[in-house]
Formats: sequence, structure tokens, C-alpha cells
Amino acid sequence: MIRVESLHKVFGPKPDEALRLLAEGRSKDEIREATGDVIGVQDVSFELKPGEFFVIMGLSGSGKSTLLRCINRLIAPTSGRVLLQTDDGEVDVAQVGPRELRRLRQEHLAMVFQRFGLLPHRSVRDNVAYGLEVKRVGHAERVRRADETLEMVGLGGWGDVLPSALSGGMQQRVGLARALATGAKVLLMDEPFSALDPLIKMQMQEEMIRLQRQLGRTIIFITHDLDEALRLGDRIAIMDDGRFVQVGAPEKIVTEPRTAYVADFVAHADPTGVITAGTVAVPPEHQRVDELRREPGARVLAHRTQADVEIEVADDGRVLGMRADGGGAELVPIDTLLAEEAPTSRYRDRAAVVRADRTLRTLLAARNLCNLPVLVVDDEERLVGLVTEREIIHAIIEKRGHNGDANVVTA
Amino acid sequence: MNALLTDAIFDPIRIPLDRWFNDFINWLTFNYRPTFQAMKVPVEALLDGVSAVLLWLPPVVFIALVALLAWRAAGWRIGALAAASFTLIGMVGLWGLTMVTLSMVAASVLVCLIIGLPLGILAARSDRFQGALRPVLDVMQTTPAFVYLVPVVMLFSIGTVAGVIATIIFALPPLIRLTDLGIRQVPDDVIEAAEAFGSSEREVLFKVRLPLALPTIMAGVNQTIMLALSMVVIAALIGAGGLGRPVVEGLNALRIGQAGIGGLAIVLLAIVLDRLTQAFGEGSAAKRG
Repeated sequence: MIRVESLHKVFGPKPDEALRLLAEGRSKDEIREATGDVIGVQDVSFELKPGEFFVIMGLSGSGKSTLLRCINRLIAPTSGRVLLQTDDGEVDVAQVGPRELRRLRQEHLAMVFQRFGLLPHRSVRDNVAYGLEVKRVGHAERVRRADETLEMVGLGGWGDVLPSALSGGMQQRVGLARALATGAKVLLMDEPFSALDPLIKMQMQEEMIRLQRQLGRTIIFITHDLDEALRLGDRIAIMDDGRFVQVGAPEKIVTEPRTAYVADFVAHADPTGVITAGTVAVPPEHQRVDELRREPGARVLAHRTQADVEIEVADDGRVLGMRADGGGAELVPIDTLLAEEAPTSRYRDRAAVVRADRTLRTLLAARNLCNLPVLVVDDEERLVGLVTEREIIHAIIEKRGHNGDANVVTA
Repeated sequence: MNALLTDAIFDPIRIPLDRWFNDFINWLTFNYRPTFQAMKVPVEALLDGVSAVLLWLPPVVFIALVALLAWRAAGWRIGALAAASFTLIGMVGLWGLTMVTLSMVAASVLVCLIIGLPLGILAARSDRFQGALRPVLDVMQTTPAFVYLVPVVMLFSIGTVAGVIATIIFALPPLIRLTDLGIRQVPDDVIEAAEAFGSSEREVLFKVRLPLALPTIMAGVNQTIMLALSMVVIAALIGAGGLGRPVVEGLNALRIGQAGIGGLAIVLLAIVLDRLTQAFGEGSAAKRG
């Protein structure tokens, strides 16, 4: 969908000289002294699939906003390519002429801004229709699509008021609607929720997840908030000093931070929504799981911290049953338990079954409802592993699975 | 005596700037008078058009229209004020002269808009142009009107049109300055947003910069109108018609009453125009809350 290749941005009087020195491996301070130039973005490359939600996370001054603006050329990159997939093939945004650039911005690259950037003298509807207006879409069609998009972001009926009459969260919904209304496949979002109150911010994030599920745009989302990045991103790039220091799925970022810089961030992140059940669970082969005995076509297992609970697992991996306190326990999918109006808490006659791709948070809920080991299974109901308090606490404190019990990175 | 003695010290390095200035204006008059006379033509046409309409309108209709406009733009108080002011002007026998003055103000402000808005827009776009323009505007604004009345008379001769041209020179600067300021004050994030959606420079100017600068530009228009009115009496010195005439004649003949009502009519006109343009400015500002 979009491919960025070796993008550099140098601010200052001698960008070519600075690039040459950079290629020679000089440090940024040396380059600044020699040329007076500041390196904003250094050698960033990435590729996004259609429908991917890519989050670039970094502190202020890390170059993330500059990078985003290089993609639609609000800031002209010094070198590198920004290849955008369009109906007429691949176009390099960094190279096209001014007319073509305007067309690309109108058709393919919409943007949402931290400080909203709404036109204060225009009604909400006319703000949302702005992108269509510069695209020369007719008035009736514009109004229709603007109202439709406003409906989509939960602002149906607000079309006639001026933006100043709306709260911050609502104004950003207008900003979002303006970007969605153009139909652009790529959405550039520059810290869109940073200016909002924490509660509103959460709502907007949920809204964003819902809209993305519905619309499937390709999104590049900038934030300085790791929890936000973890919540929204299919993939996250951590940016520091103009470079990507780590790119990966949210769980990988949290469980396997590659540098001390990333580990530092992760230390303060909330892991419960990120780490998956599959990572937390101890597999049957682990030393913490004992095989009590073999039976024809099956094994009977027990977790060491709850040795009195017997779990019978068929040789193909399916769980046959669980026995506790001398009786069989019922195996119930977690969603069924959660859907119960008044769940019978902590009974030892029921055990929760959780899919491996669910999160640590789900495990916490499961463990809260049943005082038996939680069974983590894969898509075909085969046992992935067991979870007791011990694994949950370990995951929360260490922010990784039990597999890396040997010393890995610590911040 | 003392002052003259002190001045004598400079005699060895004295320059005859006064004569140079004289020669320059004479040269300009001798060679380019037709050019300057030609510049009068559009101003004269504009002035004649406006005054023809204003003098043709029956006073009752005019008062009703102004009151209605003021009421819609600024509320019933200002509407009533406008109606009362113009009625009073008619009652003291100055209707015709007031209409002439109003058309002079209107014509000069229109010309100011035509010249000033583009210059203000250019100044906002280019620091260099702004830097070059600033001293010119300073000179236009600070030179006492009496100083440039003589060159104006030499180049444009006397009369109402010459008066309007002197008025334009005097009233133009604030409009340019405030247009420039208003456009420069438009927040960058709004402009960036407009560009991100693929607006052309023209669209950014007309859909974003100018609308957002409008309250400030309206303040400039208000200033320009007030300055134009303040030139009415001075313009009468070079033969312009309108309310300045009874004031100047009254002063010359020491007819205090005549000068007084002329002054009163100017003040009333100024108050009504000021309230009206301010209301328009606030209207465009209030829209964005």
C-alpha cells in the first residue's frame, strides 16, 4: 500500500553535505558542528499492507511528526522515497510535481491533526466537506457524504454548528470525519488524541478501533503514549533521535524490548491488554507441569502450584476433562462465563477455557471467576498450556512469558 | 535670533533640499501632469457615480435604508441612532453637503480597498515586500496633510477629485497594515490542514487566510473610514466640496454657527459609520465564537 525507503530529513543550510557526512558514519553532533544542520529523520524504511494500523511512537523531538509530514510532503524529505500504491501504479510522493502532489493529497492521503486544524468560520458540515470541496465534488454530493461521515463518527445532527461550539473530543471527531470523508485509503494521524482528556481519549481510541474494523484504512498513527500505541497498533515502531529503534507487534515490543530505550518505555506500560494468553500459559512440557500418569490415548497432568487438580489431555492435544476435590469440573469457554449475569465466583467445579490469542486481561478475569487452572487452547481446541496465579503475576511484573525465565533484558 | 545664529553654523555644508524638492515637483508636473490627470479619471467616475446615486435617493428612503442596515447589523439602538443622526443633519440644512462628503468617503475607501487589499496580501506573503512597504506607509501616515496638499494641487489641480486623492493617500496605510497583520495571524495548523487536503495556494488564500483575517481587515476598513472622514475639512482647503466647505468658510469669516453645524454633521457621520463598520467586524469575529 505504502512503502517508505531510506527516508532522510535534514534541517539546515547544507543538507547534501550533512547526508554525505552521515553516510560516512559521523555522529549527529559532529554533523551539526560541521554544517549547522540538524538531522530530523535518519534512514527510515517501512512497508505497510492495505488495512494495516501502524503506530509510530516516540518522545517529543524524536522526529515522528517530521516523518509523518514527509509522507504527504508537508515537509519535503531530503532524500529517500515514499512509494504510494494508486490505481495508476506506484507513485513516489517525494518526486511528483505540485499538481500531482495536490491530487495525491486529495485522493489518497488524508490527515488528522493534534490541534484539530478545523476552519473556525465554517460549519462542522463544511469542515468535513472541505477535502471534497477542493476535490471539486459537487455541492449536493458533498453535503450527502459529509452528513454520512458525521453519522459514522457519532456526530449526526451536528452539521450546522460551528466547531467552537463543540468539546475537544467532538472537534477531533470532526477532524477524523474530514479525513474519512475524502475516501483516502491512507490516513495520517498526528497525535490525534494527545490534546484530549484521559477519559475522552479512551473513548476515541475505542471509536478508532471500531471504525478501523469497519473501514479498513491503512493508518499511520503518531503518539507519545505507549499504552495508546499498544492498544491501537497492529505494528509499532519505536522512534528515537530520528531513527526506528524497534519495529514489531505490540506483544513483541513489550515482551522483547530490543534496547534499553524501549525497555524503559515498556517498564511503565500496562501489559494486561498486550501480552497474549498463549505467551503466559505454561505448556505441558514445562517443568512446572507434572505428568501424573498415562492412560490409554491420554495423559493426566497437574500444575505444581495446584497439584490436587488433575487434567486429562488426549494425545491429540484436546482436553478431555478436569478433576478437582474428587469430582469432575465443567470446562466452560471464558466468554460464556463473562456473559453470565452473576457469575458464581471462584467455584472449583468449573474451569475457564481461553483462546491463546486473548490477552492477559482475559486471564485475570478467568482466574477471578474460577479457582482452577485456566486452560489455554489454540484454534482447534488443543491445549497450549495452563495458567495459575503464578504465571499471571510473573507476566505482569516481568512483562514477558515464563519461557524466558532465564535472565533476559531488564531496563 | 538665537536660532538663526545656530543655523548659521551649518552654512558650509548646507544643501538646498527645499529647492531640489521644488525642482522635482516642477519636473514631475511639467512632464507627467497628463499622467496624473489621467489617474483622476477613474476616481472621478467612481465619485460621480456614488454621489449621483446618493443625491438622487430621496432622504426618507436613504434614512430608512441606513436605519434598516444598522438595525440588521448592529441592533435596534444603532439603527435608531443612525436614523436620528441623518434626520438631524437634514434638519440643520446640510443634507446635500453630507451626501457629497459621504460619496467622497465612499469613493476613497473603495479605492483604498482596491489598492490596499492586494498590497496587504502581498505584504503578508513576503517579508521583503513588507520591509520595503513599511517606510512608505510610515511616511504616508506621518506626513502632515498640509505638506502634501501643494504637490497634490500641482499634479491633480484643485477640486473634489483632488481632495479624494489626498484622502486616499492619507487613509490607505491602516488597511494595508491590518490586512497584512490579519493574514499573518492566521494559525499555522489551520493552514497546514488546508494544505494537507490538497488545497492550492489560491484556495488557501480565499478559503482560509482571508476569511480568518476578516475581523482584523474590518478593523482596518473602520480605521480607513475614520481617517477619510478626518480629511474632509482639510480637503475643503483645496476646493473639495462637502461638509468641509461650511467649516472652512465659517472659520474664514468667523461664522462660528456655520462652522459648528458643519462640524456636528461630520461627527454624527463619523459615529454612525464607526458603529456600523465595527458591527460588521464583530459580526465576522463572533461567527467563530
